[in-house]
Amino acid sequence: MTIALGYQFAWGPVLDRWDLFLLGAWLDVWVTAISFVLACAIGIGIAVMRISGVFLLRAPAFAYVQLLRGVPLLVFLYWIYFGIAIVAGINFSPIQAGIVALTLTGSAYTAEIFRAGLQAIDRGQGEASRSLGLSRVGTYRHVLLPQMLRIVTPPLGNTFIGLLKGATLLSIIAVHDMVRVANDLNINYFTPFEAFTAVAVILVALVAVFSAAVTLLERVLALP
Amino acid sequence: MTIAYTFRWDLVPESAGALAHGLKVTLELSALSFLLSLALGLVVALCRLAPSRPLRAAAYAYTQVFRALSLYVYVLFLYFGIAAVFGINLGTFTAGVVALTLLNSAYMAEIYRAAIRSVEHGQREAALALGLGHTRSFSSVVLPQAIRVAVPGLVNQLVDIVKDSSIVAVIGVFDLMGTTIQLVNSERAPFELYTVTALTYIALILLVSAAAALLERRLGRHLAGGGAGPGPLSRMRAYRFGGEVPA
Repeated sequence: MTIALGYQFAWGPVLDRWDLFLLGAWLDVWVTAISFVLACAIGIGIAVMRISGVFLLRAPAFAYVQLLRGVPLLVFLYWIYFGIAIVAGINFSPIQAGIVALTLTGSAYTAEIFRAGLQAIDRGQGEASRSLGLSRVGTYRHVLLPQMLRIVTPPLGNTFIGLLKGATLLSIIAVHDMVRVANDLNINYFTPFEAFTAVAVILVALVAVFSAAVTLLERVLALP
Repeated sequence: MTIAYTFRWDLVPESAGALAHGLKVTLELSALSFLLSLALGLVVALCRLAPSRPLRAAAYAYTQVFRALSLYVYVLFLYFGIAAVFGINLGTFTAGVVALTLLNSAYMAEIYRAAIRSVEHGQREAALALGLGHTRSFSSVVLPQAIRVAVPGLVNQLVDIVKDSSIVAVIGVFDLMGTTIQLVNSERAPFELYTVTALTYIALILLVSAAAALLERRLGRHLAGGGAGPGPLSRMRAYRFGGEVPA
């Protein structure tokens, strides 16, 4: 370990490219948003399968959650982008591979959240709506899901933020997000501290904004 | 789309030695970061509950910032940014341990804090009434009870540490992931090698989760109703695959 001071700070290159950083951050946000929506859609399906009475639905859903929660995102990303590409001959673009990896990883978490949400609702609610003549689908649509939404909002917010943090990894497979912008800047100007500080500041700000949004949403959804 | 791929699974036993070495590095990295963040997390939690306002504010900022950063961004910042400014040339392994420790200590601080808060007020008041000092009543009465509550959450944090530790491969640590990337570069068999690595991580994480569940059960024994209910072993016995998990 050697210590040698004498670093000249140069914020110019970073400040000149603030628009590139924001564009990169925007890419991270929309990739996260798409993955989150898809993960929620798959997650609800898996959650309903997991609490189903049919063994052939329950068992694969259980395995799906257990397996996907154990795979680090980076491993999954490489597995899809390099592994699947070569085996199945599917050439994902980097962004597509990123969305697939984030969606599948996220869906294992959202599935557990939705399952906990569904199980937290009193059994009588479902029974009552069935005996009132609602169909199975109608029971979910009009009785169970609206109640579940209130319970799952805070943990889903955490998942969203987790996916946003995961999205920063996509620069490794050459997605042009904010980390990639910082990397390029660092290579051209050798200003690693300034470049990565900018990314860190943007990320902390984004997380603060989204946490505040989740708190607001909770308040809107709360029962009077 | 062309499906004409010949699998080369024979590569897997051939690379088993290298992968096992990578796994060892992953375990070392995770264990070291886990132990260090256990200690640092407690310090941060104590600062968050300290009477001094600046100390509380600093600890609050610490937990908020480090919980918002992704490990990838922080590793880059630490390994390239801080290194350039201070001219400190951290080794890749050290940089990985520092990054994992700082990030996870923020999460652990929140777990500790919630656990300390969960200890009933009367416990501290009784200790003070019995003549123990402020420090003593905290360290010998409140903290031991809080640790019991915190342990399952803390061990669960190890799951995240093991998974996150794969990211330090990007700065050139030859952990399980780093070794795999290197093997893929020389063998050109990404599917087989990443599959094996993914399965290894899954096995590792299922093991850690099982340990956390076991600890939760054991530490909850003294609580009314046996804490978390019947333990994982009796739950496993009562469990049919895919069935309802007995509470």
